[in-house]
Amino acid sequence: MPWFTFDLNNFVVSFLGVLFEGVPFLLLGSIISGFVDVFVSPERMARLLPGRGIGSVFLSGLLGLIFPMCECGSVIVIRRFIRKGLPLSAAVTYMLASPIVSPIVAVSTFAAFQRQGPWVMTGLRLVLGYFLAVGAGLVARRAKPESILLPSMLGQTTARRRSGLTVATAPTQEFSDLAASSSVSKKLLLAVQSATADFLDVAFFLIIGAVIASVFNTAVRQEVILPLAANAPLAIGSMMILRFLLAICSTTDAFIAASFATFPSAAKLAFLVFGPLFDFKLLFLYGVIFRRRLVFLFGIVMFILVGLICWRIGIILGPAFEGAPHPLLR
Amino acid sequence: MMNKIFSRWLPCATLAAWSSVLLYFYFSGRIHAFLIPSFRPYVLLAGLVMGVMAMVFLIFPADANCCSAAECGHGLSRIVAGKVLTFLILLVPVTAAAMRSTDSFGKDTVLNRVEITDVSTLRSPAAQKNMPPAPVDLPLPTNGNSSTASAVPASTTTAASAPAPAANAQPAPPQDYLQRTPDGRIVAEVLDLLYAAQDNALRKDFEGKPVELIGQLMPDTTNNPNGTRFKAVRMFMTCCAADARPVAALVEGQSAPKLPEMTWVKVTGTATFPIENGRRIAVLKADKVEKCNPPEETMLY
Repeated sequence: MPWFTFDLNNFVVSFLGVLFEGVPFLLLGSIISGFVDVFVSPERMARLLPGRGIGSVFLSGLLGLIFPMCECGSVIVIRRFIRKGLPLSAAVTYMLASPIVSPIVAVSTFAAFQRQGPWVMTGLRLVLGYFLAVGAGLVARRAKPESILLPSMLGQTTARRRSGLTVATAPTQEFSDLAASSSVSKKLLLAVQSATADFLDVAFFLIIGAVIASVFNTAVRQEVILPLAANAPLAIGSMMILRFLLAICSTTDAFIAASFATFPSAAKLAFLVFGPLFDFKLLFLYGVIFRRRLVFLFGIVMFILVGLICWRIGIILGPAFEGAPHPLLR
Repeated sequence: MMNKIFSRWLPCATLAAWSSVLLYFYFSGRIHAFLIPSFRPYVLLAGLVMGVMAMVFLIFPADANCCSAAECGHGLSRIVAGKVLTFLILLVPVTAAAMRSTDSFGKDTVLNRVEITDVSTLRSPAAQKNMPPAPVDLPLPTNGNSSTASAVPASTTTAASAPAPAANAQPAPPQDYLQRTPDGRIVAEVLDLLYAAQDNALRKDFEGKPVELIGQLMPDTTNNPNGTRFKAVRMFMTCCAADARPVAALVEGQSAPKLPEMTWVKVTGTATFPIENGRRIAVLKADKVEKCNPPEETMLY
């Protein structure tokens, strides 16, 4: 057989399988995000954070459990937070942790890895994501804001500060104005509107991801991939690069990762942890807030760090990490 | 006008189309070919919720842009070309795939993903590399609450109705849980025979017994010196069709049937478990091989 044989029927079956599995969870995430967007103002959310101590960094890493946010949304939200004077370290930690340390991601990861060691995979993803985000937040705490932020952000960061957050006057934004002044029934409508916008935007990336994963799964000869999948460092590196290129949402990426049956769990974990921290779309989104050189440096450091940690975890846990597909094999 | 199309009618149409696809696949039963049972209710729920959201867009006009306009994260919604592209990608692949799908993989996928004839290879290659070699015969269960039934794949036909025994109960006789045809043949799935080859207790329920099995016919090119063997193949999925892998039981008859590859066949014969090349395998000695319709659940899980 040649290394690449495309069959439309096989592709379609695989494509629909990924979509049917992922869409309900994507919808759930979008609805929660829509309701948070309308019913929880950034000001109220930021008030929950403690002052400027180390504690705020550790706590910020857990905020995603109450206010889940996808990686695209979290970048946008923390830009608003930083402009309102939120400590940079806390904002960075929330931005990096919330796309991973969230109930939606936990549920979708657990569901996607059923019969593939769901508890271990979900736990490791959340714990690793949390500590990497906190680590980045602590580094940001030590650094000078001007070495991290773009000048346009810097001016507004230093302008308003208090212990925790300076609540600025409400921004003149059509949607947030409407949300704040609307009745509950009107807010429900706005929440549906916001959830739909989120859903359609992220479903676009799920479809692209499902197309690539299905071509990979049905057209590429698996014997060609096996040497790559059987070599842990190569498998981990290639899965992280793939996740960077796919740039899919953290709420649904577990379904893509789980479909790569030939790859080891350590590589899938690297896919799941690295992606929400740094991928192709985040490369550009981070550039809206942070200095470009720092963004590239962050990506390289995370690639190496996540790769090494996942490789080590794979060695330590060994076969136990792979998750038996059937009770007889457990 | 243009803005209204993008902010109201296209989202409404997209949600309605997706809702229709999800609900159609659920209620027509076609979803069975794509998802394991535990995921199917989510498809129904998502279809209903999307339908409601589409109705909301239909009845109530949008008052604002998609979200906080000045800091909108929905990048593709900012320019007309991006909006058109977004909606085309959201609508066309899903509806086209739903109309085009035959709901089953073809021969290329079976060949590409390499049939599994030994259940221990259901693990990923990386996991297998770290596993000790499996013994030819697995030991019998030693504790009181282990039973034949507990070792049978939970989803396969023969085990589906197997009750979990109490901790101090005697294992139920095989007749209590094995599904049989009116003429007394055991209705087995491919996985039943593969697991039986690995498990002494389970093997006793099948070895030398008359068995009926449904699968897709594929030639056996590796273990077929006399040309009398073929494979009965089923796809086994862990979560969804994308991760499905073919599992195959060997069938041995007077000669290989003259039917096209991937034809659904019903095989009646006797289950045997010879040791070949140092490992115990399942071989169904066929009395009769006949073409049949696909089963209601084409996938195993």
